[in-house]
Amino acid sequence: MNPIPLAVLTPITFAFTLPLIGKLSKSVAKAYAVLGTFLTMLFTFEVFKSSEGGPLTYTFGGWRAPIGIVYEVDTMSAFLGLVTSTLLFLIAIYSLEYIKSGEVWYFTLYLGLEAGLIGVLYTGDLFNLFVMLEVTSVAAYALVMFNRDPQSLRAGLKYAFIGAIGTTLYFIAMGLLYRTYGTLNMAQLAEIVHSSDVVNASLAILLLATWAFLIKAAIFPNHFWLPDAHPAAPSPISAVLSGLVVNVGIYSIARLYFTLYSGLPEVKSLGILLIILGAISAFLGAIMMNVHSDIKRIIAYSTIMHMGYLSMALGIGSSLALASAVFHTFNHAVAKSLLFLSAGIMIQIGGSRDLRDLAGVGRANPLAMFSFAVAALSLAGIPPLNVFSSKVMLFTAFLDWNPALAGVLVVTSIMSLVAYVKMMRVLWLGCGKKESVGMPVMTGVVVAISIAVIVLGLVGPWIFKGIALPAVAQGWESYVAGGLGG
Amino acid sequence: MIDLWGVAIVSLVLTMIVGIYGVTARKDLVKKLISLTILGDSANAFVVALGYRINGKPPILPSGESVATFAKTAVDPLPQALVITAVVIGMAINVLLAFAIIQLRRVEA
Repeated sequence: MNPIPLAVLTPITFAFTLPLIGKLSKSVAKAYAVLGTFLTMLFTFEVFKSSEGGPLTYTFGGWRAPIGIVYEVDTMSAFLGLVTSTLLFLIAIYSLEYIKSGEVWYFTLYLGLEAGLIGVLYTGDLFNLFVMLEVTSVAAYALVMFNRDPQSLRAGLKYAFIGAIGTTLYFIAMGLLYRTYGTLNMAQLAEIVHSSDVVNASLAILLLATWAFLIKAAIFPNHFWLPDAHPAAPSPISAVLSGLVVNVGIYSIARLYFTLYSGLPEVKSLGILLIILGAISAFLGAIMMNVHSDIKRIIAYSTIMHMGYLSMALGIGSSLALASAVFHTFNHAVAKSLLFLSAGIMIQIGGSRDLRDLAGVGRANPLAMFSFAVAALSLAGIPPLNVFSSKVMLFTAFLDWNPALAGVLVVTSIMSLVAYVKMMRVLWLGCGKKESVGMPVMTGVVVAISIAVIVLGLVGPWIFKGIALPAVAQGWESYVAGGLGG
Repeated sequence: MIDLWGVAIVSLVLTMIVGIYGVTARKDLVKKLISLTILGDSANAFVVALGYRINGKPPILPSGESVATFAKTAVDPLPQALVITAVVIGMAINVLLAFAIIQLRRVEA
């Protein structure tokens, strides 16, 4: 049986039935929500296994490829989908202990977010991508505002206004695209683009869509919502937003540039733009990490930095650069989620997000401090942790294009390392005595992910060879064949 | 004679630019929300206009006519279907934003 509909419909079904169960019992509803994320994880694993031979497709309602809505999963989307659902499952367990009130609505939005993310990654239809982008975004806006205090409401509104502009721009781009090519099916569009020379409106379409996705990925100059929105959310949601939701923008750009429009001159010239904006984002993130003293804001700026790396890799567009972008997206998602989750424990103990109030908090929960250190050192690129292996790959890809970009990677990594060491020094050695608060579930989750970070660092080269390189090698021809052949 | 169709398209694009300007430049949150609806609505009208055919037939297949000849003369219904979906999604976002603005007034007052 085809596992795609199960993976997509499970989170939606659980999200819609959750408020009803929440009327009966809150604890049952919480267990039900975690079960939903667990089942989704199993189904995305099934999808990942079945998509190894070539793109896996599913047609909703039996309407065949160019007419109906088709979901098409190649190795890249299946891999990112598996990573997304696994992290969402672990973060859901963490949330069980973290969220003290309003659990039912929290988990409803959480499952809605999961449905949107999986939908964006799996869809083979450009209009469905728009719908799923909006599902993801609405859930993300609402979760940022979850605390309903003035600060999180303001941050959420800022995020929602800029995000709504972005999705509207994408909608206009999609209208123009339909007008030009007469289709919204990704596989058919790729075939038309590569077999004819109808490119008169392509630059406008690509510019509008790229702008929309750069807003979603928080690349300079569209980054300004992220340092407000990500810290204002509850800590597990910060982990989801920084680790997974920003990837949507990067994934969509990769799909647009390298499946639909691969090899076109417009893509090459926009690639230069992506490289420049990515380099600026990387520097901006690295500088701002050393300026602020709000622990979650520092981590949020680190996200902008890493998105800058990914944007540079997409701009280069060689198969090595793309494979390292996929690999880095995965490693960054794991390490950044871990960093936010362990910072969440510190903030719970210290009762503040300001680094000056958190002095010595790490000593109250050494296991969380250990996880924090693992995540921070990994993101800074210290071997043998997982982000190191993807940074090496990015470094090689950048070096092939221009040594200056490799220099940007090294310099910003060192700058981020300075910020991380400063944070760890205050958290561990700072003078201040804090009472330890028992958080067994949350601590268990972060320790589990930190072990994963270490293990993934050791097996990184095999993941790169076994998944990332084949994912990129599939190319648009097999996407078209998979989408229209069945 | 002035090309009314071209005027309509240009004015829609200008309205969208006004909407983006309003969302980014206005300080007042309610005015931002109004600008966002202006942007969304003009984008919807723009996409409908892209599928429109001047003097085209309504996209309902009359009995006895072949689909191929009908498709050459009728208005394209797909952009309208897309816009219906976009209108619904836009409403959900506007409701969320309006709620957040009201909540912000409440907690700050």
